[in-house]
Amino acid sequence: MRLAIVLAALPVAAVLYLEARSVVPLVVVAALTALTALMPGSAGAALLIGYAAVTTAFADGPPVRLGVLLLIPALHLIHVTSALAAVVPLKTKIEPAAVKAPARRFAIVQLISFGVAAFAAVVPGGTSIGVVEVLGLGALTVVIGVVALRI
Amino acid sequence: MSRADKIREALAQSHGAHWHPTDAYSRAVWLGVGLVAAGLFLHQAELVLFGVPLVLSVLLTHKPKGTPTVSVRPVPRGAGAGVVHTVAHVDGADAEIAVVKLPGGVKAVPAHSPDLPVEVRRDAWGPGVDLRLDHLFAGPDGLHVYGPVVGVEHARTILPPVDHHPAGPLPPRPGGLVGSHRSPRPGDSTELRDIRAFQPGDRLRRIDWRVTTRTGTVHVRERHAESDAEVVLALDTRVDVSADVAEWSSPHRGATTRPDGSLDRAVRHAASMAAGYLRQGDRVALTDLSRPQLNVRSGVGRRQLMRIRTQLVVCVQAAGWASTVALRKLPHGAVVVLLSPFLDDQIAELAVQARKHGHVVLAVDTLPLPLRPDPETPWGEVAAELIAAEHRLRLRRMAEHGVRVTAGC
Repeated sequence: MRLAIVLAALPVAAVLYLEARSVVPLVVVAALTALTALMPGSAGAALLIGYAAVTTAFADGPPVRLGVLLLIPALHLIHVTSALAAVVPLKTKIEPAAVKAPARRFAIVQLISFGVAAFAAVVPGGTSIGVVEVLGLGALTVVIGVVALRI
Repeated sequence: MSRADKIREALAQSHGAHWHPTDAYSRAVWLGVGLVAAGLFLHQAELVLFGVPLVLSVLLTHKPKGTPTVSVRPVPRGAGAGVVHTVAHVDGADAEIAVVKLPGGVKAVPAHSPDLPVEVRRDAWGPGVDLRLDHLFAGPDGLHVYGPVVGVEHARTILPPVDHHPAGPLPPRPGGLVGSHRSPRPGDSTELRDIRAFQPGDRLRRIDWRVTTRTGTVHVRERHAESDAEVVLALDTRVDVSADVAEWSSPHRGATTRPDGSLDRAVRHAASMAAGYLRQGDRVALTDLSRPQLNVRSGVGRRQLMRIRTQLVVCVQAAGWASTVALRKLPHGAVVVLLSPFLDDQIAELAVQARKHGHVVLAVDTLPLPLRPDPETPWGEVAAELIAAEHRLRLRRMAEHGVRVTAGC
């Protein structure tokens, strides 16, 4: 499971390096990945996801681009694998059937997330309606959050 | 409630046998909502897109309910050494993944998987723990966990093994009336003891007609009785030493005795000898030389063998140095089997005294030889040689006093 964290972090490092053309994101991602793999229950995963999200958000380019589309499943995968690695001790023999349900849920979440990304890509961008675009996406998430809290 | 109590309560809530959220749950909620909110206010759609999967992972899961359990079919307590198979039943309730610590290693399985095969290895005799299935259940995506829970310990006691070998010839117990050894008293065996004149009370079928015809007076054939012998197994539990002299002063962990150490050998010999003599109908007793309260009175039969093997385990559990050794209440004419590494003069003196009191004494030397000297000290070789020389001298002295000395049985 810890290996899965490292594998999920590889595209993150690659995307951040290609977008920034600097070694700094590589070093930061490597350090945070190591921290997450060694201590999956630590704040390493949160820092890694947060760092990658903020760095990508403030990089140049359109909101929905190839790098962002690659990072959406990669960051989610880091979250899921580190969550599972935190409850499974080192050198645990994991039966493939045990991760079947999380894998199915991951696929569903990604399907919905890419639906939202497609919606964001379809909505026309621009300085005047950019606010509306972000507000729409935010409102959608708030609605989902409210429903989640009710459940 | 003080702040310390609050912290203590919060720590208690974060683990143990109840469902509680993990760090991943906090991460998904706070980071997910944070990214979406930040994207909203900073007009960055990317942040929203990265936050949506985290929020959704919380939305699509729920806090599990119920009490998941792991139970194991108990294995017999008294079964012998070797590999024992059983199964563990996992009842996952609302959980998704069960993480169980099996003897072969930790395993993560679906919470509603069929029974898990469990292989229990029983390598050494004595008391111990067969199984303790510590476990933890994880809810969807590991956002909630139940545990970790310390499993129930399944204890067992493996009795010392019995090696089958023939019991040696023994002198009869004078008071005995049954058994396999020839008694000096008249009895009903087939072995001729004497031919004498008929006396009132003699059975008519005992009349020797040939001698009667020749002598003119009625004579009867008298036969020997067959009696049992009384064997007292005397165990010296004060020391447990291995062939490595360097380990003598350090405690041994992981097993009841040192593997192939003096106490292990003594117990195995005692169990085997008890089995051999009891099989041929002799009476066998057990004596702990330094703890007479652990003695087993003499008896016969299979139950006596079980009693002696069980008490051997108890003796070993209570083993430790004692300043005095004593052989108390020895039955008249009993055979004393002394099992000891003979590392001090006191035990040798005890064997000689028992011999002087008219008992047949068999000294079984359980010291693992040759001794391996301590390589970390220049005096190691000299010390080992000195110990071995003293030991040889002690055995020779006992032999000179009529004690039969052997290294095995």
